[in-house]
Amino acid sequence: MMLIHIALRNIFAYKKRSVITLLLGAVSTALLVFSTAWMDGSHQQMIKNAVEIYSGYIQVTGAEFRESPSYEHLLFDVEKLQKEVESITGVELFSTRFEAFVLFSAGEKAVGGMLTGIEPEKEVSISRLHESLKEGAYLSCSDTNKLYIGNELASRLKVTIGDELAFIGSGADYSFAADKLIVKGIFQTGLFEFDASSAFLSKSYFDLIMASDNLATHAVVLPVDSVQSEQIAKDIENKIGGEFQSASWQQTMAPLVKSMKLDSAFGYITLAIIFIAIFFVVMIYTLLAVYARLREIGIMRAIGTTPKQILIILLLESSILGIISVCIGGLIGAVFAYYFNIHPMVFSGMEEQFKQYGLAVSAIPTAFEPVTIVRDMLVMLFLIVSSTLYPIIKVNRYQPIEAIHHV
Amino acid sequence: MYRMVLRMAWASLTRRVTRSLMVILMICVSLWGLLVMQGIYDGMTEQMIANAIRSDSGHISIVGHGYRLDPALDKRIKEKDVTSQKISQLFDSNSSVNSWVERFDQQGLIATAHYSRNTVITGIDPEREKLHGNLQKYLVQGEYNFGSKGRGAIIGFKLAEKLKVSVGKKIILSAQDINTEVTSIALRVTGLLKTNNLVLDETAVFIDIGKAREFLGVENGVTRISIMLNDEENIAELQNKLKRALPTLDILRWDEMYPALMQSRVIMKGFSLVVSLMIFGITGLGIFGVMLVSVLERIREFGIMIAIGTGFGQIRMMILIESLVLGVTGFIAGTLCGGLSLLYFKTYGLDLTLFSEAFEEFGMDAVTYALIRPGYFSTAFIAVVIAVLISTYFPLRILRKSRPVEVINEV
Repeated sequence: MMLIHIALRNIFAYKKRSVITLLLGAVSTALLVFSTAWMDGSHQQMIKNAVEIYSGYIQVTGAEFRESPSYEHLLFDVEKLQKEVESITGVELFSTRFEAFVLFSAGEKAVGGMLTGIEPEKEVSISRLHESLKEGAYLSCSDTNKLYIGNELASRLKVTIGDELAFIGSGADYSFAADKLIVKGIFQTGLFEFDASSAFLSKSYFDLIMASDNLATHAVVLPVDSVQSEQIAKDIENKIGGEFQSASWQQTMAPLVKSMKLDSAFGYITLAIIFIAIFFVVMIYTLLAVYARLREIGIMRAIGTTPKQILIILLLESSILGIISVCIGGLIGAVFAYYFNIHPMVFSGMEEQFKQYGLAVSAIPTAFEPVTIVRDMLVMLFLIVSSTLYPIIKVNRYQPIEAIHHV
Repeated sequence: MYRMVLRMAWASLTRRVTRSLMVILMICVSLWGLLVMQGIYDGMTEQMIANAIRSDSGHISIVGHGYRLDPALDKRIKEKDVTSQKISQLFDSNSSVNSWVERFDQQGLIATAHYSRNTVITGIDPEREKLHGNLQKYLVQGEYNFGSKGRGAIIGFKLAEKLKVSVGKKIILSAQDINTEVTSIALRVTGLLKTNNLVLDETAVFIDIGKAREFLGVENGVTRISIMLNDEENIAELQNKLKRALPTLDILRWDEMYPALMQSRVIMKGFSLVVSLMIFGITGLGIFGVMLVSVLERIREFGIMIAIGTGFGQIRMMILIESLVLGVTGFIAGTLCGGLSLLYFKTYGLDLTLFSEAFEEFGMDAVTYALIRPGYFSTAFIAVVIAVLISTYFPLRILRKSRPVEVINEV
């Protein structure tokens, strides 16, 4: 108890060191907490966008479809499959799609793109196609040759609501397929490539012209709780395995997930460089403070204080300073993380840059995760305390007489 | 006189070896980290830009008026805009032009019995592309030509995987011709490309430029001319010159074609600046602490010096020299470590093949070669000196205010 008392007294006696340590500790903790919140937030946003706009949390395909997406590896007998998958607990919805690359042509324009048959009503819950409506109207199940087309694709083809366009491609039976379509709605998800190449038809009509009845290139499964995607994907695989493959977004989006990790790695490296400088500064200030007290320490030793007690006093000092600064910094960082979580940062004028990274919006919320914040605070506390170790150990090596005589 | 000041400065530095070494180490390590970070990040950004320039836009692209927003065949560069002789004249005699190529692009569909997908069919002259962007270097299978009759195609390896074709197999290209009719052609794959540029690897279809014109029913003209310069400095100048010479065409710099790339360069610069400022601010704080204590603990010493006739200017000089020695030694050590590390990464590159999938997502190479710009070192030097001067200014002011001569009398 007395040791704590002495340590506290010392903290107040050496104000400059205390203030600088507190300041640096607080600033770096706030910086770390906020940077992590920012990186995690932007990454989660990017992945969430990529997953929710179109590709979905869980995809079920033919066993070899993901490696070689050809008509040989379709989902055959979709109806049976649907019954099986929907009986699994945790599965909310099962919706099929049939994707085909075709050549669209309107008036004097012809552009290659992807024509997909979807189940319009179910698609409302599994993707953001419905929300992305820009003009006209969204599809309905009973629609015939009505097309829901990406904004950029529409402008490339120079078509607008009510215009007619044609497409040619090959049907599921490898036969030649072509038809005239009428634009019913135009959507804009913000994913440029997607908007510039995609168009959708109601699957019931699509099946007629593409001979794809009861067939699909893939199915999207909506889990009741998206956090459990990985587990549910496994459950599905276990039940229907062999002929089929079930992949969670972690697998279908593997390159994106990996690139987010890489981005975080670079972020942490940059922070580490800043923290190295801070580490040294805290070390220097501790050294100065401890050396200024060298005579005092020598006298304490001479009157019977053991080196262990002195070590404890000095460590207590730096730990108390560390804990206070980390708490202040953590709090500041958390407040910012929380604020920008509720009021996402908006970057206008940087849409071009964001497009490159597949970000559909220019507003990015930070992540607010108390566990991560506490983790960052502990990391900083460890850093701050360990940066004071060297001076503390060094000063403890002096013999009492040496220390008293030290100039 | 100065020798004396120098010797005294040296003596006081060596009296507190641990302290001095710690300051030097601090500057050295932070500078080391900063230099390596800058060099590698800049290397990455520039590599990404260079990739896009080499494989696609060139430093300057010439396209028909309005073609960029509406890539239609009738908006191509026609003979009446500029004859091939005039183009040759314009570029071959210009010493700032390294190489130039003509390309013929058209949106279309590539198909086999298994699969079909949309693509951009690009007509090229393989021999010229060799000089321009080293296209042949990215060939991983087959031959770098379109066969004697031009009935071959070189395609991206990922596209080939999806189409399940290999060298020698047949593919069918469909596109809209000049009369807006959809037309098709069957070609054989002669080679496969692997460029690490995801878009090219997944969609590229290169065919002979003559074949492309024939297939699309166009007699003459190209859709794009891409120019590489010897020196990036001359881009604006050449752009202006071309604008005057070819008023009916659109002349675009690479950063007008890819604003996102230019933005990443700007963001990277801002980012480096912020990190540098933080690091030098923090190291300045470290120097400040050491200099303050070192001045204050010698205050009686200075008092006596002044009492026996030393001018305050000399004392100031001494303290400044002390801190400069610390700063500059730290700078030299940091520059050496950082410079050598950068040299290593410049020669051997930083291999992040482990993350190559992720890099593809960004259109980057898995191996990054660091850049070394003289600016890194000169800026760092100036920053160190400024940090030193600022962090010595306050201790000096405190010293002056505390009237050292009077301090002698205090017990």
